[in-house]
Amino acid sequence: MIKKSFSIIKKNHFKYFLFKLVVLFLIVFILDYVIGNILTYFYFKQKSGLLYRTTYSIEKTEADLLIFGSSRANHHYNPNIFENRMNLHSYNVGRDGNFIFYHSAVLKSVLKRYSPKIIILDFVPSEFREENHIYDRLSSLLPYYRTHPEMREIINLKSMYEKVKMFSYIYPYNSLIFSIAIGNTEFNKKRNYDFKGYIPLKKILNNPIKIDITSSRYEIDNIKINAYKTFIQDCINSNVKLYIVCSPYYIKSNHIDYSVRIGKEIARRNNIEFFDYSNNPLFLNNSKLFSDISHLNDNGATIFSNILINNIKNKLKVSQFQYKL
Amino acid sequence: MLFNSFHFLVFFIIVTSLYFLTPYQKRWFILLISSCYFYMTFVPIYILILGFTIVIDYFSAIYIENSEGKKRKRFFIISLIANISVLAIFKYYNFLNQNFSFLINTLGFINPIPYLSILLPVGLSFHTFQSISYTIEVYRGNQKAERHFGIYSLYVMFYPQLIAGPIERPQNLLHQFKEKYDFEYNRVVDALKLILWGLFKKLVIADRLAIYVNTVYNNPEQHNGNTFFLATIFFAFQIYCDFSGYSDIAIGTANFMGFKLMKNFNHPYFSRNMSEFWSRWHISLSTWFKDYLYVSFGGNRVSIHLMYLNLFLVLLISGLWHGANWTYIICGAIHGFYLVFAIITKEFRKKINVLIGIEKIPWLNKLLKVIITFMLTCFAWIFFRANNVTEAFIIIKKIFTFSGVVFIENPSMMIYSFLGIFILLFVEIKDEFYIGKYYFFRNTSWIIRNLSYAFLIITILLIGVFDGGEFIYFQF
Repeated sequence: MIKKSFSIIKKNHFKYFLFKLVVLFLIVFILDYVIGNILTYFYFKQKSGLLYRTTYSIEKTEADLLIFGSSRANHHYNPNIFENRMNLHSYNVGRDGNFIFYHSAVLKSVLKRYSPKIIILDFVPSEFREENHIYDRLSSLLPYYRTHPEMREIINLKSMYEKVKMFSYIYPYNSLIFSIAIGNTEFNKKRNYDFKGYIPLKKILNNPIKIDITSSRYEIDNIKINAYKTFIQDCINSNVKLYIVCSPYYIKSNHIDYSVRIGKEIARRNNIEFFDYSNNPLFLNNSKLFSDISHLNDNGATIFSNILINNIKNKLKVSQFQYKL
Repeated sequence: MLFNSFHFLVFFIIVTSLYFLTPYQKRWFILLISSCYFYMTFVPIYILILGFTIVIDYFSAIYIENSEGKKRKRFFIISLIANISVLAIFKYYNFLNQNFSFLINTLGFINPIPYLSILLPVGLSFHTFQSISYTIEVYRGNQKAERHFGIYSLYVMFYPQLIAGPIERPQNLLHQFKEKYDFEYNRVVDALKLILWGLFKKLVIADRLAIYVNTVYNNPEQHNGNTFFLATIFFAFQIYCDFSGYSDIAIGTANFMGFKLMKNFNHPYFSRNMSEFWSRWHISLSTWFKDYLYVSFGGNRVSIHLMYLNLFLVLLISGLWHGANWTYIICGAIHGFYLVFAIITKEFRKKINVLIGIEKIPWLNKLLKVIITFMLTCFAWIFFRANNVTEAFIIIKKIFTFSGVVFIENPSMMIYSFLGIFILLFVEIKDEFYIGKYYFFRNTSWIIRNLSYAFLIITILLIGVFDGGEFIYFQF
């Protein structure tokens, strides 16, 4: 009977093709499901490393003070100093190569669990520049797509087909198999290279180029501006004290960055403090405090963290004084 | 719309479904409309450029066919001028103007000719060459002028090969648009296999290697000789997988609907000399240059010295065809030099081989030739990839110091890169040297067959680069 119906199918090329295609899809689906679930298990089983820090930021941290931002946040703000001087549990959520969309998505997940007392957002010049590859960086959040519906709206900005791609169980872990494998080794568990999310850079900048290569003119991405506004609004709605900080640069910029100007204006309208240290003379051309032209080294991060804390404390004092009045 | 995008997958499913559902006499219309849409997803307004050359060539060909003598030649020249003018304006104008500026500035004058602020239309060199091949063939009497305007337009605009070839000849493609192709299981499956392999080459190998190559080549001052050596080898595989991957998807997409496009690559890195390399690399372009340029220059029927010059010039022009940049011209010149040098030294090299006795060990002889040819190709690729000539020379200088620790930013990237190259070499060695053996895609066991497809799909999902950029050859 089966043989007979199979031979009928075989005679019709299209039906036979569809039958074979379904068989192939079944094989691929089973393999995708099994491999994808194995990857999920080992991804979330990690206890250290970059991927673990993201999971910790999204699902576990309950710190009073959180630092958001890109690599500049990750290497510029030492949570230990914030803890010691402000008596607040602190954690650095910053992740290399990720910008406002990432911060906004992680914040949504954090606020779903609890409200931190203070959030510091490191603002990068050119933050609102129109660059398509920034959307691709959202792939770092794909492992959380299924379990964190609050992030989906932002992750879907990656492409209009993201929902379809997420039918695959492997896709969220694309290009991560080796990192997941290493993340589960004993060797990696013993490596403790981050301090509450902060990764100190030990190098001292050598033979730096002193030319300002930043450009004053670029296309602005309004979706990024909206993500920034949402970040601010989410903090306000959750009664979180937000500080937006543009951390130091090695090279003096010859112009006021357009994104910084917009960022300051939006912050001002929402009564949010915006600290701009990008042209701070203490850091400009001071190669001893930098690891490369964009990142402070551990020494620079310590000095900068202390300066920022002083300023935050001053602002807090003023606002408490104003409140008492 | 890129072949490696979800957008294309949706487009492909809709177009092929409509194609098979439409009576075969009307299918050209479905293909033409979809090809217009495909092209307009890049820069919509540039469809007018295509329209311009299509109209000129369509009428020129009919007039060429209907006239004789000088009149016939006149129409042929009109068509040539129209096509070459489009190329000259959109591709070479600014380059020529820039060089002219440099020349007269050194003489103390200021160039009064303004630069044009225009984007290069995608695949301009490809469809222009395909159009030129049509009028040449009609002029030579090898092809009848197409009377059906829609079908001729489709010949130029057929979406699978519109952007980056293969550059087809009218004798091979035009008549296919009038034929009826049914949904044949074996053909459709073969087409899908080719598309899958093309996607694998693009997503798993080319785009992965591109990350390392771009990091290194875009910062020539920061990297050492050994890093550049590795990046150059990677680039050789990147450009091969990028372009042959595109060709495989193009040929597969066309074949799904029944159209047979010409083979564009034939394991070029197994070539034992440069002449063989050019018979295996970008076959549709090298045969185009041979048929229409080299033959027009006199081919092999001229004196030996003129033949050398012709050969060199053809390769030089093929370099220029790739782009308006001195790097491409030098790359073409290097290949021209290789070919001429190979002919001149053929007998001498034979004697040397006999003298050292390498011919007694055929496999070693073959292997050495393959490695030398590959290395020579890699040397030329340095110019092809470098951002400018100065940087190319910096890179060459660094490579020949053979110094420094190879730059590895991310070990997992390296593992994925080598894994991709390993799978490629495994498949290519099997196809080149073990023909008819160790089948995977064509295995008689359906389990092995299906597992082979599944392996490729799963590998693409696991380590393919989904955020990779365009195909390199789109810019030409």
